Amino acid sequence: MTARRLPAPLHPAARPGEPVSLRWHGRRIAGHAGEPLAVALLAAGEAGISRSFRVHRPRGLMCSTGQCGWCECEVDGRPSLRSCRVPVRDGLRARSEHGVPDGRRDVLGLVDHVWRLLPPSFYHHRFLRPRQLRKRYLDVLRFFAGRGRLRAGPRSLPWRDALEREVDVLVVGGGCAGLLAAEAAAESGASVLLLEAEFEPAAICRWRTPPLPDGRRLEALAASIAARVELRTGATLLGLYDEGGVAVAGDVLLTVHARATVVATGSYERLPPVPGIDRPGVIGARTVEWLLGAFGVLPGEEALLVGEADDCAGAEAALIAAGARVVARVTGEQLLAVEGGDRARAVRCFVEGNERWADVDLVVVGDRAASVEAAIAAGLDLEADGRGGIVPHSGRDGSTAVPGLFLAGAAAGRPIDSPAAVEAARTAGRAAAALAGTTSATRAARGPAPRDGSRAAGAAERLTPASVVHGLQRTSPADEAILCFCEDVRGAELRADQAVGYGLLELLKRRTGALTGPCQGKYCLPAVLAACAGAAATVGAEDGAATVGTDDEVTTLPTGRPPLRPVRLGDLAGPRSRAR
Amino acid sequence: MSRDVAGLARLLDAGPLPARASLVIVGAGITGLSFARWLSALGLRDMLIVERAYPGAGATGRNVARLRAMQLTEELCHVAVAAQATYDRMGEELGFNVLFYRLGYLWALYEAEEMERMARAVEMHHRLGIDSRLLAPDDVLRLVPVFRGGDPLAGGVVHDDAIVHHDAVVWAHLEHLAATGRVRIASGTNVVGVARGDGGVRAVLTDRGRVETRHVLNAADAWSNALNGLAAVHAPNRPLRREVLVTAPVHRAIDKAVTFYRPTEGWFNQTLRGEVVMGVVDPDEPVGHDQRSSSDFLRRTARLMVRKAPGLADLTVIRQWAGMYDVTPDHLPLVGQTGQLEGWWQANGWSGRGMLLAPYLTRLLAERFMGAEPHPHLALFEPDRFVGTGDAGNGDEDYYARYARPRDATRR
Repeated sequence: MTARRLPAPLHPAARPGEPVSLRWHGRRIAGHAGEPLAVALLAAGEAGISRSFRVHRPRGLMCSTGQCGWCECEVDGRPSLRSCRVPVRDGLRARSEHGVPDGRRDVLGLVDHVWRLLPPSFYHHRFLRPRQLRKRYLDVLRFFAGRGRLRAGPRSLPWRDALEREVDVLVVGGGCAGLLAAEAAAESGASVLLLEAEFEPAAICRWRTPPLPDGRRLEALAASIAARVELRTGATLLGLYDEGGVAVAGDVLLTVHARATVVATGSYERLPPVPGIDRPGVIGARTVEWLLGAFGVLPGEEALLVGEADDCAGAEAALIAAGARVVARVTGEQLLAVEGGDRARAVRCFVEGNERWADVDLVVVGDRAASVEAAIAAGLDLEADGRGGIVPHSGRDGSTAVPGLFLAGAAAGRPIDSPAAVEAARTAGRAAAALAGTTSATRAARGPAPRDGSRAAGAAERLTPASVVHGLQRTSPADEAILCFCEDVRGAELRADQAVGYGLLELLKRRTGALTGPCQGKYCLPAVLAACAGAAATVGAEDGAATVGTDDEVTTLPTGRPPLRPVRLGDLAGPRSRAR
Repeated sequence: MSRDVAGLARLLDAGPLPARASLVIVGAGITGLSFARWLSALGLRDMLIVERAYPGAGATGRNVARLRAMQLTEELCHVAVAAQATYDRMGEELGFNVLFYRLGYLWALYEAEEMERMARAVEMHHRLGIDSRLLAPDDVLRLVPVFRGGDPLAGGVVHDDAIVHHDAVVWAHLEHLAATGRVRIASGTNVVGVARGDGGVRAVLTDRGRVETRHVLNAADAWSNALNGLAAVHAPNRPLRREVLVTAPVHRAIDKAVTFYRPTEGWFNQTLRGEVVMGVVDPDEPVGHDQRSSSDFLRRTARLMVRKAPGLADLTVIRQWAGMYDVTPDHLPLVGQTGQLEGWWQANGWSGRGMLLAPYLTRLLAERFMGAEPHPHLALFEPDRFVGTGDAGNGDEDYYARYARPRDATRR
């Protein structure tokens, strides 16, 4: 059972590109021009695209938004590109990385079977003697590390112009909430700049057409605000720095000085912390709908749906329309494990008091967790949402503890699923515009940084604020369940280092590597925090605001470290106007 | 692999502070931890380390742990060689692999004037038995191929220097100290006052209570100035931010820890895991506590790195952070007992060299603390050497900056 192409995409407006031919490890694969490489690979039966960093587990297309990093591979000699973001063209050459002999058939996958012998800190008490061999041991470790291959030599780089913009309201995210907030802010008379990571606003419209809860169509909303809002698509926000909001936006390196900012960055798949949840064949519900709607690619024939969100219903309808079978639908808590070797082949679930086994070749994850990285970078407090996720604190108008920072939509824990949620997102836009009317832009407000010793003399320390999470319930995920996917950190490994005495979250993070990988905690933060909650005798904050003493209710987070999304060094290297 | 679980919990005990301590060390970074290590080996008991956040929270957890023996002055070379040897033995002595690895260190040079200057430094190294080598541009490209296609090089200097895993150094010390049972670390504890009496230290006041003691080590580095202020001890240290970025890991591609000084100071190297860490210094970085990251740093670093080493352009930046240097006017630390207050010991002002020098110099300091004659290597770091000089230290006198700006070079 593998993926296959339908005669046509399900969405009537989807138009496949010209047929093209590309190569995967030299093997010729058919695709359509412009479709993402990960989609072409999946359609060609290549479920596993990458290998995980530490224990070489196979991984494949999951989030399709460039966040999880499971579809990374080498493309035309460039290392570790996220293949869901790489459009296919004729003659493209790609290969998997990080395997021996390669990522498809990787003998190092055996490491995963002996993971108990190789905890993240396995080298600490080893490889010291004999002294003459010490460096050789580390050479061997070094050989197995790394992922992609870096080429030497000159290369052409994207030429980016540096652009500085001053606006009343910056809206980050061009999904439902971002568009609604931008519309409301513009109606209030504010100048609005909207950043969207996809290459078109309301990208969701390409494959899905449910109207907004207020009855309007998203395409219509996107079109109607185009005249009043400056749209920047294909824009990756790196962070809300002192210098302004900084984004790589197409051929521009953009610095936005905004009087108010609305963060509407949506949500990520919430992966249940169970063994096997990272296998190829476990795919986000929106990705499944997108595969079928936009490309006519059916990722599996026998599907298990996981989650309660609306997204499951959309994926279910698309799967049934494509002729696939939905075996069952369970909640995240009911799922016990995803079984299989190099891809998902079966699931174990807890149903009606019994453990059940079902053969499936597709596990569709419908639950979502708020995107919290911008909130954590700003030091906002967060709260457990009671369903295994965490959401930042914000007021009814989206305002936060940071003046000028507003949250809207799923990023505020208010996904756009009801008329009230629509109004809430619009309220955030209006509140941002109202505040902007009374404030000067960041640059003007702060003025230039002092270039003398005045900061040392009595000025407050400029430290990164630390967020705390309230109300986390401690969980005990299975020993073998991987909680941090980038670093392959398992439940047992977190517990082992806690037991040794590294209960401080900051120490635990460094010991295990959890939260430090390329996804920057987007997919592991809630699960890792829940596994640690209340366990630490002492929780310490990075910059001194330490909380001491056992506390089951409050967990202090490691401070957020920008950029909010990974970025190529070459993409930042464009020229910049000297602003000193 | 048996470890003393109870010991580590005791070491990091979050309970009430002890009423008195033989010595209070302020700062649980590399300085405080290694000073406690050496003193416990010399028999001192009942030490207390007071730490405002958690062990390794300051510069110790925010540096990239490059251990360079080849320095630019003869005095510093002597000390640095001994300091590197201290790390070489650390793993065996503590029974913990701190990943000491002789990656090799390379200065990339861009101007003829730099080459002449460095040729003299290499001569000096050879006199001291440091086996550095002057390289032609082709040698540099062969050793570090990512430079290919970048700004034309004048040459380079290479030496068999090392990197270490800074976090592992912290864990090694924590586990060692846990086993000795002679010290406790109070995390999340701020010093709010120092009680003096009869010209000496009497107690340290913290936000969690008072601890009677006759001896205090100021190992707070970038926060040392405030602590000295509480004790009315004068020192010229100034905090200065340095920023770092790290990329997603790639296979072994860069086989030297690289530093260049033209047009401004910058550096990069690959960790054993394959990540590349790098940074370009802002010569005009203002003095002051600032541990936040800037986008200016990100862009400055990307722009210069890609110009010099185009091969780095394909790397993906996944994190950036900032740490604090504690800078003295001559960029050498203060290590020793101050004459200003009896029982007040300094080991701060590391000026970016703490990771390298602290384990060695705290050993000499510990011997001094227990009554030995001062080691000649401590002479360079006399803590009161700036008293009465009016300080004049604002970071502009940077040792590297002096090197990087030949016009006003004032090398000793």
